[in-house]
Amino acid sequence: MEFPGSSATGISLLSAVRMRNLRLYYEIALRAFRRASIYRAAYIAGILTNAFFAALRCFVYLAVYRAGTIVAGFSANDAITYTWVTQALISIGAGWLPWDLMQTIRSGDVITDLSRPWSFYGYWLSRSLGERCFNLLLRGSVTYLLGFFFFAARIPRLTEALAFVVAIGLALLVSFAYGFIVNLTAFWLIDNTGVMIIANILLTFFSGFLLPLAFFPPWLRQIAQLLPFQAITSLPAEIWLGHLTGPAVWRAFALQAGWTLALTLLAMLMLQSAVRKVVIQGG
Amino acid sequence: MLALYLRLIGARIRSQMQYKLSFWLELIGFALSTGLEFVALALLFGKFPVVGGWHLAEVGVLYGLSSTSFGLAEMVSRGFDAPFELMMQRGSFDGVLTRPLNSFFQIMASEFQLRRFGRSIQGALVFLYACRHLTINWTLARMILVPLTLLSGMTVYMALIVIGATMCFWTIKTPEVINIFTFGGDALVSYPLSIYNGLIRNLFLWVVPVGFVNYPAALLLLQRTDPHGLPAGVAWAAPLVAATFFAVACLFWRVGVSKYTSTGS
Repeated sequence: MEFPGSSATGISLLSAVRMRNLRLYYEIALRAFRRASIYRAAYIAGILTNAFFAALRCFVYLAVYRAGTIVAGFSANDAITYTWVTQALISIGAGWLPWDLMQTIRSGDVITDLSRPWSFYGYWLSRSLGERCFNLLLRGSVTYLLGFFFFAARIPRLTEALAFVVAIGLALLVSFAYGFIVNLTAFWLIDNTGVMIIANILLTFFSGFLLPLAFFPPWLRQIAQLLPFQAITSLPAEIWLGHLTGPAVWRAFALQAGWTLALTLLAMLMLQSAVRKVVIQGG
Repeated sequence: MLALYLRLIGARIRSQMQYKLSFWLELIGFALSTGLEFVALALLFGKFPVVGGWHLAEVGVLYGLSSTSFGLAEMVSRGFDAPFELMMQRGSFDGVLTRPLNSFFQIMASEFQLRRFGRSIQGALVFLYACRHLTINWTLARMILVPLTLLSGMTVYMALIVIGATMCFWTIKTPEVINIFTFGGDALVSYPLSIYNGLIRNLFLWVVPVGFVNYPAALLLLQRTDPHGLPAGVAWAAPLVAATFFAVACLFWRVGVSKYTSTGS
């Protein structure tokens, strides 16, 4: 059996994005954006939860910092700002992996999506971008504003904010590709919950979500810097803090772009072999 | 009743063990994820040796007591989580009401997640690690206090999960906000309560008594005093507080059941 969409699952990045179909992906993203905006109770609960956890960590930082001290390059206000910005980044996937693709693989609904005449990767990417953009604009920014009002979290300069926006864009792509790869393991494992849980903790730990990488001992920090996760949380947050400036910002962008390419490529390759597997099972 | 419970749970465990690899991966996954959370906490102590006057090993006592009991509560009461929510959405709770058994019992017996024990194992390891690095004067009373505290903690967390589920009777979906008190509560009481402001301290001591079950007990074990004047002796009241809180949760459940209007087609 030949899937119409399977040609688009090739390794070529260009075919994944397929410029002429840009309008289609825009519409998919728009619908995901609207869908996310409907669940008002969900995002209010999300904001409350994120703000609660951020406040909790701020109390810990306030208890350990004495006035004027700087630890590992972080002042008390830096630590607080970092806490709120990383909680806000949960909206783009800093804290939890999505489970939706995995569920369609388990239920078998994935077949329908694979046989549609569009890029499977592009479809899920647009959905994720639409949903996460909404979450970032509403959940993320409201969470951060709470941090600004109650804990004096920092408001960056305009150039830093612009660099942050670019970094977020790249972080979205890296975060999506990683989530896609982990979800895709459901094709090979009957129950990939364990893999998802382990992949999730690797993300939150090594991205600097649980603790800024600056507070890691040097050897552990080096490991974290070899992994893709810092591109999702730590790098954008450090740009927001104003800790990365000038050439360091460009290096951060380059690193994020590199991981975007590498993970997207890996995701495509996995998808290709997964599709072959589906064909065998369905044949 | 107990025999029936054990039989139902036995069947649950056997079915979970059918997918051996998945089971172990999930157990390890849960232990690892809470483990790395503790590593992050320990790394913070690498940069700041004391938090609110407490050293890492002392905080380990707080963490261990809370995490172990939370894991136990999750293990036994996950029936009130996703499976119950699904029941509400499909309207299959009707079936539960027709059976000649207490609805609370049926929901509780409908799920038993052995893999959640991973959190308890990890919490217990941290507690043991902490005890090795501390000189705790192990009197008989203190030895009794530990299991009593764990049981009280488990009861409080179970009550919270039940309260979250009961809200389903009105909202159909378990409101995410309950996570603030379960996962958030567990994270909050991993640090000494004294570092928080009055509002949070009082909320987690007297309204949602998650802090009541580990903080006074840790004070008693470590022979510390609370800067805000909470006597360590109240640790012995924890079972009473936990039982009261659980009773409130059960009452709330009853009200919820009486207000149940079925959904579905």
